[in-house]
Amino acid sequence: MTAQVMPGPVRAPIGRLLRSELRWIYRRPRTLILLGLLALYPILFGIGTQLVDAPVRANGDQSIVAAVAGNALMLPVIVLSTTMIFFLPLGTTMTASDALAGEASHGTLRGLLLAPVSRVRLLAIKAFGVAVVSAAAALMTSLIAFVTGLVIAGPGSLVSISGTTLPVGEGLWRVLLATGWVIVQMWAVGAIALAVSASTEHPLLVLASVIGGLFVFGLLSTIPVLDWMHPFLITESWDSIVDVLRDPILSENLVTGLLRAVCYIVIGYSLALARMITKDS
Amino acid sequence: MTFAEAEAGVGTASAVPTPVLAARTRGLRKLYRNTVAVDHVDLDVPEGAVLGMLGPNGSGKTTTIRMMLGLTTPTAGEVELFGARLPEAAQAVLPQVGALVEGPGFHPFLSGRENLLRCAAAEPLLRSSAIAKAVDEALERVGLSGAASRRYRGYSLGMKQRMGLAAALLVPRRFVVLDEPTNGLDPAGTREVRTVIADLHAAGTTVLVSSHLLSEVEATCTHVAVLHQGTVVAQGELRDMLEASNAGLLVSTPEITAAVDALRDNRIPARPMPDGLLVDLTSTTAPEVVATLVRADIPVHEVHKQRTGLEDLFAQLTETS
Repeated sequence: MTAQVMPGPVRAPIGRLLRSELRWIYRRPRTLILLGLLALYPILFGIGTQLVDAPVRANGDQSIVAAVAGNALMLPVIVLSTTMIFFLPLGTTMTASDALAGEASHGTLRGLLLAPVSRVRLLAIKAFGVAVVSAAAALMTSLIAFVTGLVIAGPGSLVSISGTTLPVGEGLWRVLLATGWVIVQMWAVGAIALAVSASTEHPLLVLASVIGGLFVFGLLSTIPVLDWMHPFLITESWDSIVDVLRDPILSENLVTGLLRAVCYIVIGYSLALARMITKDS
Repeated sequence: MTFAEAEAGVGTASAVPTPVLAARTRGLRKLYRNTVAVDHVDLDVPEGAVLGMLGPNGSGKTTTIRMMLGLTTPTAGEVELFGARLPEAAQAVLPQVGALVEGPGFHPFLSGRENLLRCAAAEPLLRSSAIAKAVDEALERVGLSGAASRRYRGYSLGMKQRMGLAAALLVPRRFVVLDEPTNGLDPAGTREVRTVIADLHAAGTTVLVSSHLLSEVEATCTHVAVLHQGTVVAQGELRDMLEASNAGLLVSTPEITAAVDALRDNRIPARPMPDGLLVDLTSTTAPEVVATLVRADIPVHEVHKQRTGLEDLFAQLTETS
């Protein structure tokens, strides 16, 4: 055999790895089922409120539910605020749990590390996958809700909770702002979920601990004695999403919530990186 | 070391006939909490060899392999692949290494081809345009072309094992590591794995096969390393080890008693067997024995070395403690 010269470090193109990761995520049946449910939810919610409203409207009045949910500004924000406490974190955590713990349990993480994909790079690829899925899920849900609202109530119905009516362009901008804010919150959940995912081979453990953790956070934030703890809870600012519906937007709590999410992202990925580098796989 | 230096070193290295090592470990040790899984493992895998890593279950074969590939961090000791230290050189060396470790790992909801496409996307040495062809060739090589579009979930144990082999062979490799490659395979599959190993060997690829099946190693390997309770108890060329492990010469002759007497006169220990005698070769050589017998006018029909095989060697090495 001829003497072969050792080549320098070689890496697979990052674009190819990211595409391959996304293809893998979007081929998974459970991802598709969850996205399907998220797409149906705003439509059902919009139709549901109109059905509730129908008997009231027959008397020439309008019910409070329809007033709250029956327009293209309110519906997306209400839909986001209800999905962000369960379905969106579920989707995010599920993707994160499959990303490392799931791959480890199938023995496929070994294959990637042996190819080799360096550990830091692998974490970056996984973080990208989780971020794309949570962002796409939130964006899809809110846009479907926006369109549903327009179809049901028409373009002249974008009433803020301060009582002013907004043009469609301004309404869409507000909806996108709310969506962006929710996406950052989901990235925070994803960061923590990936850190847990890097520490175990059991995907269910990731799901249970993160979703369970969010539930416990929700409980803790209702206990007044523990108010010193509240600023540290990621869920603390999740109610503030309705502030985008005020005219003008009440930004104080939204900004606090954003900073809190960024802290969670930094801490989550630091932990995930530390675990990933030393992990035996 | 820069790569320019490495390149410059090739000329001098090829002039001096020192054997190149595909893999080398020194003082490898792994502790899991308080259990010593592997200790003092000094393993040499010469380039171009087929090394059989032999050992009973739990002897540390897989742990050693995982440390050699940088999957597990050793508690102590060092690993070199082609003279480059791991884990620092992983990105330069591992692309040329194919491995099947701890059984095949694939996603059940994807088809065989899709699974391999995913593996191929991560292979640094594969160009994007060459991926589809490499995957088809690997599937062909392990005989899975017909089942390539079926979901991995429905594969039999043997087919899964073949998939693992296909992933290890996606790219032409310099070094292939196969951990228990014949697990779950039927006799035909086992033969195919042997053929694959023989092909790799013929192409100059270094192969490391771990197995608890002695016949497997005896049939395919040029070198052997025996692990027992986490340490290497013996290693070297298969031929040398078989020779060292037994020192018997079987002589078939009709005049057994005369032959034994003639040898004993020359202080060569021998004992009668059903149709000949067994000569102990610890203090002498085979030609010496034959010359002695011929000088004593003993008719010799046939002389051959007694082969105890790896079975006995393995038993000797691992059952002493």
